[in-house]
Amino acid sequence: MRNLRRSAIAVVLAVGACASAAVGAELLLNDPAASLVTSAPPALLGPITESGRTGWDCAPEHAATAKTAAAAGLPTD
Amino acid sequence: MPRPPRPRLPRAFPPTDVTIRVVVAAASVLAFAAAAAGASAQSYPGPTAAPRTTDARALGAQAREREIHERFMRGVTAEEHGDWNAAAAEFRRIVALDPPEPRGSTARYDLALAEIHLGHDAAAAALLEDALHRDPRFAAAAANLVALHLRRGDTKAAQAAGDRFVAFAPDSALALYGRGLAALKAGDLDTARADFRKLVGTDPTYAVAHYDLALIELRAGRDDSARAELERALALSPSYARARFALGTVLLRDGRRADARLAFDRCARDAADPALRALAIDLRDRLAQQ
Repeated sequence: MRNLRRSAIAVVLAVGACASAAVGAELLLNDPAASLVTSAPPALLGPITESGRTGWDCAPEHAATAKTAAAAGLPTD
Repeated sequence: MPRPPRPRLPRAFPPTDVTIRVVVAAASVLAFAAAAAGASAQSYPGPTAAPRTTDARALGAQAREREIHERFMRGVTAEEHGDWNAAAAEFRRIVALDPPEPRGSTARYDLALAEIHLGHDAAAAALLEDALHRDPRFAAAAANLVALHLRRGDTKAAQAAGDRFVAFAPDSALALYGRGLAALKAGDLDTARADFRKLVGTDPTYAVAHYDLALIELRAGRDDSARAELERALALSPSYARARFALGTVLLRDGRRADARLAFDRCARDAADPALRALAIDLRDRLAQQ
């Protein structure tokens, strides 16, 4: 009996998920731009050694001040 | 008359054992002198000075410096290996020892990195704020603070951190991207447009900035400008699935259903993100049915 009840709940949930997906897709057809998301946030820059910022060889500082996307390690998606 | 044989004269200085020894000794002295002259032309670093104090405070300061140095090395190595708990322990101790700049802000930056990976975002944000308070032009700390707030979804804090970053690094791609993204999420389309325009002005080959500009134009109701930006992004990166999907939505809004269906079909083939692929397939199939 308990198993039957669990199965029934699972079926109801699955049908509900399918229905909401269908409604979501229908809404998207009406206004698909609503589903658009921005690009990814920038990645975190890595660790800095004790003497890293006293010289000219600090990779995170170089990336943080770089002018191009590639040198800054900006996202590609 | 035969000449009598010429008598052999004795040598004036016949070599003796003593003479030979003197010559060998002189040669040895000359060789040693030449070697010594050559060695004196080289330079060797001086030996590390031994502590010349018995003063307890001076010895304590030396021990503290040594501990900071050792813990920095261990902490950075731990972070490079992804051992965030070990790294956090090392940098917490350095922060407690409170070294002068730039090591004080660097230790806080490194500790913040470990705290982020341990899920302690609020502590990490406070550490990065402290690092920037100690060194207001610490660009890597400013960049990570913006990135952290964006990851947490705190767009207001990300905007404030982005404003500060752009103020001292106005040409930095990371500063413009971070603040632009925060502004776009917060609905400040003017700031977002200005930052992404400046970014593509410096680096016109960055397809992602064109995609974000397209989103800004779409939200501003300028579909033609949005489509132009998306076409630029796709010219730079033809397999950019998110931009292809966005182009499909613009075409759909414009009533060009067949072109939109082609865009969703291409997106479904290019997308690495399963959710985006599923959405593109769903829209493509629905357009095919109608």
